[in-house]
Amino acid sequence: MGELAASASPEEELLSIGLGSCIGVALVDRPRGVAALAHVMLPDAAADRDAPAGKYADRAVPALVDEVERLGARRVRLEAVLVGGAQMFDVGVGSALDIGARNAAAVRAALERARIPVRAEEVGGRRGRTMRLHVGAMTVTVKEAGGREVELWNGSSSTRRGPAEVAHR
Amino acid sequence: MPPQEGDSNVSTDYTELQLDALRELANIGSGTAATALASMLGREVELAVPRALALPLADAVDAVGPADATVSTVVLPIVGEIEALVLLLFPAADAATLCDLLGVEPGSEVGDSAIGEIGNILGTSYINALASMTGVALEPKPPHVVCDMLGAIVASLLTGTVGDGETALVLDSELDVADAACSLSFLLLPTSGGVAELLGRLGVGSA
Repeated sequence: MGELAASASPEEELLSIGLGSCIGVALVDRPRGVAALAHVMLPDAAADRDAPAGKYADRAVPALVDEVERLGARRVRLEAVLVGGAQMFDVGVGSALDIGARNAAAVRAALERARIPVRAEEVGGRRGRTMRLHVGAMTVTVKEAGGREVELWNGSSSTRRGPAEVAHR
Repeated sequence: MPPQEGDSNVSTDYTELQLDALRELANIGSGTAATALASMLGREVELAVPRALALPLADAVDAVGPADATVSTVVLPIVGEIEALVLLLFPAADAATLCDLLGVEPGSEVGDSAIGEIGNILGTSYINALASMTGVALEPKPPHVVCDMLGAIVASLLTGTVGDGETALVLDSELDVADAACSLSFLLLPTSGGVAELLGRLGVGSA
């Protein structure tokens, strides 16, 4: 939760477990074989400057860029994949109601500022998800609770799907 | 959920006295619920010592239990003078055992609705105990039942109750049904204002 990891090792996998209203943000440089993944929990870090870099959308994207560049990625080749941002409950106390949608908007805005295209996403819906980035194959898979692993992106074409279009079961 | 390593009631913003008072609150709430469950099942129900977790948001989610565990969750929002969420967590296997004990088929519509109803009854007795201990009229809203990943559920709810950069407070108590592989846990997730109000009512508020 709130964490950020990067890798250039083909045998490694980067994992965000239990994404509800949180969003897993992956940045990859495919030709270079470099990838990074952040588990974003909230839209905006204004009130919390000491938090882990992955926790807030506005800080996570620049931090991801720094991490992949440190491993040799070229900024112009970066592509993004997004998973999560669900609304699991109809009611809550405080601001729980639309946190998933606000996270998604904040992540997209941060990516736009960094001029990084979103190649695939599975965002919204009501279910929690686990996101897996396979560094060697450079693919992203998504799994729901009690469901099976489904490939979201393999680099070939862009994929945008709503939760209803996905057969996780 | 069973305790994880290295999370032994770490406090950042609260005194030991305040955490003790909150643990006692959780203890009485879940004790009342344990009695209700025992009379429903006709079996003894044991109560573990509650944990009071006062941690940064992300760490609090991790401390509750394994993020990818599938749990049936009954959520009861409390509004009024104290705003909070009460969660009852039934791990998938334990929910099935509980259905067997009740004579309904696990995973069926009847089974799911039985879990929801048990959650509602236990959650309400937990909330009533909190209300009589704090002297506050607590108003529970209708329950929501969700079966999903623990981490997704807790993170989605905590990000709403706790504002940016604030310490999340989670009161966690576990009930075990005697002679059956069935345990469930209660989480009380107050808003930051709710914690202050609770502590004030318990006579250990900050000066």
